[in-house]
Amino acid sequence: MKDTLVEDGPKVTEVRPPATRPEHEAALRKKKLVGLTRPWLLLAPSLLVLAGLLLWPLIQVGKLSLQDYAVKFGGGVGTYTGFDHYTDLLGSELLWKTVLPNTAFFAIACVGLTVALGTLVALLLNRLGPTWRLICSIAILAAWAMPAVTGTYVWIWLFQPQDGMVSQIAGSIGLIDPETTNWFTERGPFYAIATLNVVHHGFPFVAITVLAGLMTIPKELYEAGELDGANAWQRFWKITVPTILPVFLVVTILSTIWDFKVFTQIYLMPGGDGANEEVYNLGVFSYIQAFAKNDYGTGAAAAVLLTLLLLAITIVYIRTLFRQGEEDL
Amino acid sequence: MKRRVIAAGIAMTLGLTATACGGDDGSDSGDKADGKGKTLTVWIMEGTNPDARPFFKEAGKAFEKKTGAKIHVEYQQWATAQKKFTTAIEGGADQVPDVAEVGTTWVPQFAETGALVDVTDDVKKSGLGNDLVEGLKDAGTLDGKQYGMPWYAGVRSIVYRKDVFEKHKLKAPTTWKELQSAAKTLKDKEPGMIPFPVAGGAEMFAAPFIWGAGGELATEQGGTWKSGINSPEAVKGIEFYTGLATKDKVSPAKVNTWTEKEVGDAWGKGEVAMSVNGNWTPKAIVEANPDLKGKLGAVPIPGQTGGMSKSFLGGSYLSTFDTDKKDLAWEFVKMLTTGDFAAKWATETNYFPGQNSELKKIEAKKDPLVEPFAKQMLEAGATVPKTKAYGEIQASKVIPGMVQSILTGKSSVQEAADKAAEDMDAIFAKDK
Repeated sequence: MKDTLVEDGPKVTEVRPPATRPEHEAALRKKKLVGLTRPWLLLAPSLLVLAGLLLWPLIQVGKLSLQDYAVKFGGGVGTYTGFDHYTDLLGSELLWKTVLPNTAFFAIACVGLTVALGTLVALLLNRLGPTWRLICSIAILAAWAMPAVTGTYVWIWLFQPQDGMVSQIAGSIGLIDPETTNWFTERGPFYAIATLNVVHHGFPFVAITVLAGLMTIPKELYEAGELDGANAWQRFWKITVPTILPVFLVVTILSTIWDFKVFTQIYLMPGGDGANEEVYNLGVFSYIQAFAKNDYGTGAAAAVLLTLLLLAITIVYIRTLFRQGEEDL
Repeated sequence: MKRRVIAAGIAMTLGLTATACGGDDGSDSGDKADGKGKTLTVWIMEGTNPDARPFFKEAGKAFEKKTGAKIHVEYQQWATAQKKFTTAIEGGADQVPDVAEVGTTWVPQFAETGALVDVTDDVKKSGLGNDLVEGLKDAGTLDGKQYGMPWYAGVRSIVYRKDVFEKHKLKAPTTWKELQSAAKTLKDKEPGMIPFPVAGGAEMFAAPFIWGAGGELATEQGGTWKSGINSPEAVKGIEFYTGLATKDKVSPAKVNTWTEKEVGDAWGKGEVAMSVNGNWTPKAIVEANPDLKGKLGAVPIPGQTGGMSKSFLGGSYLSTFDTDKKDLAWEFVKMLTTGDFAAKWATETNYFPGQNSELKKIEAKKDPLVEPFAKQMLEAGATVPKTKAYGEIQASKVIPGMVQSILTGKSSVQEAADKAAEDMDAIFAKDK
């Protein structure tokens, strides 16, 4: 999409008078050259930064994924092994039975819950008066501002087997036997706690963004709806959702990217650092391969796989987003 | 055009990083003999010595007096240091410290990259070789080459609550059976306490039982390592250790994911009656909970039917890196690992020094919370396989994973041990 924007520029200037004099032609050519290079010159600083910060590491990771890499004093040595790491990775049972399902289901649950909760909170904020809206906004922004590490430790602490608050409450009402229950060792409860953590950390962004969208919807639409006898449920689905659909698409796509590559929140949980294979996700798996087993090639291959996965999802989203845009026009 | 722009960007970024790196260390170069005007960069692990800063201030002054060179100490975190070292090694002589504290299990990995200086001859020349604690010297020696000086060492034994044991007329265990029955009695009589935590995240809690049953973590044959963790002996040891939790229920489910840190915290809260514990922990426990002063006891980890089970003898080396100041660095290492500074470090940290002569002095003091550990260290210390692959096996938590899957009932002991052996062998094979 960036390309079409850039190409549009020069086309406008192509109003060519029937010139015959060579000087005039030269001037025109110069003008055309300037027209062609100026956008690139203007883009150059940001392209330089992007190339240095994003493209270069990306190329390195791609290269690394095709190598067996050994750390050596003063610079490591890589031997190219072709696509061996990818074939090993894609042939591994651990990837298909544990890593990918964990990553995908966890991300789907997190995205769904984050967007749903965020929207509900945004609807609430939209109805509040200025004072309460400010108070509530500050409260949810505090959840957003909390560093992932701190947040994770708080959730671990709450669900600490036997001693944590949730465990004690669940034990006292007879739901569990605190002495024999450890939520962190089972895949389901482990990811349920991680989901709570990630949703709690992620919903404020959705709430604030959706609220910004909600505030742009003209009140008249709702008044008209009410006159026609639409109830709150119908007004939400028939007026709110279609009007700010692009906002929903943007928060969904961003949440998807974030929730697919969750690492900290899993790695810091008890058993999440590699001891319990059942709870591996792609991020942790890639980290363990690269930095615990020093198998940088496989780690890089897993990272590339995650990138491709996200790229595919993003493309689908963006296409939907733009098709939506065209229909609106 | 686009490609050229990108190329320029890359070149610029590289240029920037290169200058940034070069700028770190401006004060090197010069002749070797005199240390005047030079500064040694020293990496030390945070947390071993609570008073590390005053210690190094003093050491720095003494070193400057001796050689004219200054030292600059940078404190590192245990949790992240290995990665930091790896990155620095990759960066080469400009990035690595001149002297660093290196955990014994890291030595094979770092030595293989060529970053550490082989000091075998220097040790011989200085006449220090014969005084080094054998197990510790061995841990940092590969193919006959010694990569640094043993600095301090620690070992794990059994720590127990003397007051609780006396109350129920229990004796410190001398066999596995006694350990088991003491823990079971404690479970009945002290329902608020954890009789014996079987911590799923603590590899070095499980290892003594594998060694004690006659098993090995891995064995070397003709240069190739092979896992021994699923041998009948090792499985017997694992079965006993995990059985304490799964059959005897002397360790509740919450302990399944605990590491040594959580066990230490629970000791501080007065929740633990007996556990495998490091020699550096009793003092820390009493500091966290002054009520426990005088109530702690220690014994070596009992053998199956008497004697002792071997326990991991871990520690740190002071190693020199292959920089242009390595001769000066060696002088600093010698100063810290011998004589007064070595003794002072050991006292302040509650660890054992790496020299027999200093260790004997400590043993002679007959401290009941030190002597059992010293005995364990001198008579029943063990090292883990000396290969880079074993470091990777530890980092990928193969043994904690095995123990946890048994504790949670997901696999039988044999299944879990077979799986661990398979994982270990895969890593050994990869690094061949």
